[in-house]
Amino acid sequence: MTVHITATEASPARTVPRGLVPASVVVGGTLISLIGLTWDIQWHSDVGPDTFFTLPHLFLYAGSAISGLASLAVVLLTTANSKRGKAIDPVVGGRAVGVFGRTFAAPVGYLVSGIGAALFLVYGLWDQWWHGLYGFDAVIDSPPHIGLLLSISITMVGAVMVFAVARDQRWGTYGIAAAAGTLLAFSMVTVLGLRAVPGGAVNTVNAGSAFFSVMILFMGAYVLNRRGGALAVGVVVAVLQAVFWWFSPWATEVYADATGLPLRDYADGIPGLPNMIPMSLLLVAVAVELLRGLPAWIPGAVGGVIITACAPLQRMLVQGSDFPALERYVATVVAGAVLGALAGMLGRRYGHMLRHLAPAKDDSHA
Amino acid sequence: MRKTLLGLLGTAALLFGLTTPALAFEPVNVVHTEKVKAGPYDLTIGFSTWPVKAMQSLDFTFVPENGLEGKKGTLTLFRGDVESDGGPLARHPRKRDVWGLDVFALPEPGAWTMRFDIDGPAGAGTGELKNLQVMEQPGPPMGLSWAISTFPLFGLIALIVVAWRRTRATVA
Repeated sequence: MTVHITATEASPARTVPRGLVPASVVVGGTLISLIGLTWDIQWHSDVGPDTFFTLPHLFLYAGSAISGLASLAVVLLTTANSKRGKAIDPVVGGRAVGVFGRTFAAPVGYLVSGIGAALFLVYGLWDQWWHGLYGFDAVIDSPPHIGLLLSISITMVGAVMVFAVARDQRWGTYGIAAAAGTLLAFSMVTVLGLRAVPGGAVNTVNAGSAFFSVMILFMGAYVLNRRGGALAVGVVVAVLQAVFWWFSPWATEVYADATGLPLRDYADGIPGLPNMIPMSLLLVAVAVELLRGLPAWIPGAVGGVIITACAPLQRMLVQGSDFPALERYVATVVAGAVLGALAGMLGRRYGHMLRHLAPAKDDSHA
Repeated sequence: MRKTLLGLLGTAALLFGLTTPALAFEPVNVVHTEKVKAGPYDLTIGFSTWPVKAMQSLDFTFVPENGLEGKKGTLTLFRGDVESDGGPLARHPRKRDVWGLDVFALPEPGAWTMRFDIDGPAGAGTGELKNLQVMEQPGPPMGLSWAISTFPLFGLIALIVVAWRRTRATVA
């Protein structure tokens, strides 16, 4: 079985669209990272004991390795074809750019996803040093952990880029929704790093969740540039949330049984990562679709308000938490409106920028 | 195809083979203890590293005399006079015959208090470990650690700025 993943001329006997295989491997790797993360968070909250080689950790390492190796393979094959003077098809990851002078010819999407995977290795060493100094705590928002999460996020941005290049094809459209949804779900953990930012009365994590959710939703909607684009990203996130809601506690319990470890006393079994994803996101996606004719900052602000206003309600519903102090709630919703407006404008612009990655034929779906 | 499948199976077997023996978890090594009297209960508090430093995680054990049978309770942490954390006393995941906190760090330096409220066959009792001195965090200042760790974010922002400038003329 031979699958062509190089960026060369089209062959008439091709059955798999050019560029689909490496793009799928990269986004598959990012999904494996997301699975590893949701499992690992649940493991720490419900079971506890940790080593470098737990299965959730292996999923995290494997996800970046798979995406990184696929990116490296595309870059090396593109470089080889470039040196042989073969035509480079930009549908595979976008226009090739020179790296280290002209030593390598790297399609820009795979360059970004590969850099993310390489940074993951570097931050893995930083994390190892950190644990040697501070102990093997399970603090998700330690600086090296945020570095690792940001590195994986860069690979996920690369995944969005490689699908954005093929946005005129059906697989490109589905891929954008899948890659953007994965990035959005993953970013809801990365924003925990905002706990370290002093926000006064504002809940910085809720405000950050609103900002990144709205921005990525808009980015997906505008790169797809068709009715239902925002909704497609929102549905992908909702499906991930629903599947992980079941998977995270289930896999944790199965793995604990398999390794002979008991669940913690008082483990509540509440799915950790899925509960960080705003359940109100589908509502935001619908609002974005309905308000599409208005300037982006208006639906952006509406989205920011919906997410920050509903976040405490979600925690009350799932965890039985108390409603926050009114001053804090209002301040966070106001911050959500402002950041949502900004995120709407930025997301729209990023969507347009991503459309420029595609070979210039133009907007068949517009 | 068969070779590919065999290769995949071999890799999976190797992964699982390596994973299983590696799941030998660190034992809980107590290097320092303190005593607290919580009403009728004598409690021994164990620390896996001593002295305690801010942000440096360690195993805490809380051992009532005559074991956990029939007893339950809560632990509340105070930094100075301000309540910081708390919850029910749970068995240590790697030492199930005692209560404890696994690889847990106190976030700030200063004088901490651990308050134990215990209920059991001899009735209810409260005791405190006062003036637990937590030293300054080891390692580089947090600002430097955050600067190193957020480098990918600034790299991404730089990429966006370049792409923004290059597409400015064409994006209306």
